[in-house]
Amino acid sequence: MEAGTLGHLFYGFQIALSPINLLYAFLGCLVGTLIGVLPGIGPAGGMALLIPLTYGKEPASAIILLAGIYYGAMYGGSTTSILLNVPGEAASVVTTLDGYQMARKGLAGPALSIAALGSFIAGSIGVVLLMLVGPPLARAALKFGPAEMFALMIFGLSTVTSLSGKSLRKALVSVLLGLMLATVGTDLPTGLIRFTFGIPKLMEGFDVVVVAIGLFAVSEILSCVEEMRQGSYSTAPLGRIWLSLKDFLQSLGAILRGTFTGFFIGVLPGAAHVTASFLSYTLEKRFSKHPDSFGQGEIRGVAAPESANNSAACGALIPLLTLGLPASAVTAVLYGALLMVGVRPSPFLFQKHPDVAWGLIGSMYIGNLMLLILNLPLIGLWVRILKTPARWLFPIVLAVSFVGVYSVNNAPLDLLLATILGVLGYFMRKLDYPLAPVILGLVLGDLLEQALRQTLMISGGSLLPLIQSPMCLVLFAMAGVVMVAPKLIYARGVKLETET
Amino acid sequence: MMVRGEMAGAGLAVVLGAGYLWGALAMPEMSIGDPLGPRAFPLLLGALMTLLGGSLLVWPAQKDSGSMGISLHTGALALLLGLYGYGIPRLGYPAATFLFMVLAPRLLGERSYLLGLLLPAGISTGVFLLFTRILDMPLPLGILEKLLG
Repeated sequence: MEAGTLGHLFYGFQIALSPINLLYAFLGCLVGTLIGVLPGIGPAGGMALLIPLTYGKEPASAIILLAGIYYGAMYGGSTTSILLNVPGEAASVVTTLDGYQMARKGLAGPALSIAALGSFIAGSIGVVLLMLVGPPLARAALKFGPAEMFALMIFGLSTVTSLSGKSLRKALVSVLLGLMLATVGTDLPTGLIRFTFGIPKLMEGFDVVVVAIGLFAVSEILSCVEEMRQGSYSTAPLGRIWLSLKDFLQSLGAILRGTFTGFFIGVLPGAAHVTASFLSYTLEKRFSKHPDSFGQGEIRGVAAPESANNSAACGALIPLLTLGLPASAVTAVLYGALLMVGVRPSPFLFQKHPDVAWGLIGSMYIGNLMLLILNLPLIGLWVRILKTPARWLFPIVLAVSFVGVYSVNNAPLDLLLATILGVLGYFMRKLDYPLAPVILGLVLGDLLEQALRQTLMISGGSLLPLIQSPMCLVLFAMAGVVMVAPKLIYARGVKLETET
Repeated sequence: MMVRGEMAGAGLAVVLGAGYLWGALAMPEMSIGDPLGPRAFPLLLGALMTLLGGSLLVWPAQKDSGSMGISLHTGALALLLGLYGYGIPRLGYPAATFLFMVLAPRLLGERSYLLGLLLPAGISTGVFLLFTRILDMPLPLGILEKLLG
């Protein structure tokens, strides 16, 4: 690290450690965690809602407050995923796979702890990477054209093989359903309305929050109610609250791999958080010696995606801070907030507003530590939610989830859609069609189609750019490895599709 | 009626895929400067879904299929949830949530009338105030708006 960078970092710490900014960072983390815990609001929505809190504040203080909300919400999203199988936001969907299974086994405490520790480690390393490789990485990301984006989306979709459950073909049906849902609405390049059946609200397409809450929260509760009536439902045991050293050491590799995967994916535009968490989970499962344990309550299945989505949050800040380009919904909100406090994000942000840029970086170190200190003692409290009688817990979860659904667009139709999708998810569970691939398809579908069409528009209809770009070839090869490697490496017994 | 789950699931995938494909075929071709146009991707998805559904129909993924049945209580909760969603914009969030919180726990086995009324009142008010006052999110007040003037 250059001496100049260290000096700037100390300057950033000076700003971030001022009592008022410490208070804002704490408030941001607290409110962000609350927003993350409540299903449906998500980091971008939460930040947008709370922008008015920044009125009249110093630019550095305003951005420190919003950044605290950002990474607080990114962490908080894991809580309901683990405890209730209700993803707080799309990036937490993959955490439900093993986190909820851990909770059912009485390991909710260790699952929440590893999510907190993984997020802390990933966030801390992510800030260091942001300082060290931010500018060159941002320039490299600019060379990421539609062809490369298409290849990245294919790489992202290849993760469906790790979410396949009992049948790969059923997982493919699920991912196709998600891709189909993604085509509903207005086709932006042509303005053509597709598959809306004359319902004006559907012109905006399906919101991922509505689909995630319907498919996961509603269907989970409907399934549990059925188990209750059959007498096979049991309240999850509280079990142990704290993480053992063995658990931590077992997860450390997954945390570090998730951190680096998440950070580099986070720099890219599009659905970086979601792609990062799905990819890190897949890589962890694919290259594990015991892939069968994933989906059954494997702690690394929580550590990897939680670390990835937090370091992706750091990576996503790079294009904003170094180039002045918002590359995601969250950074677009930050961009707007910066403009409101009189700071125009540009490639000269570090020169023109060092207090904002370095103050933010300094506050991220402190914010990550605050999040850990804030959330570890809360774990015992969160876990006790599981002791709430199911006859009260389920309706409360539904009532809170419906606020999240309603808040997306203030559209009553979304409430109906969430219910219909919940019933669909209930039947999909019964028939062993995995749900996570639907979200994957929905999130990546539009990006995939637009990237392919843009590639062909630029090339005049030729597919050559897809095979001429070295980055495309690398990404296609990685997708191939993710799909085929388990068959080659674990050919001795582990089957990709265990159809009976 | 209980329907064999595997066949029903695969059949639904075929119907969905075919219906979607039909919808894609009905779209106008708009490919000026856009070689693929808005039809190609949906056509591909519809065809793949139909083929995959067909393959599951012919070669089921699992021999021990589940059923497409739904228990009375599960169906009743789904219906109640649908009515709750319908009621939120009309009755307002607090009133609709109160009614939902009275009926849903009752359906799930709550027997105490006192608890069954007090808790819903507290929960609906608490959640409404949390979102509207603390998080500044707009939620419809509905019939209470008229009552409170």
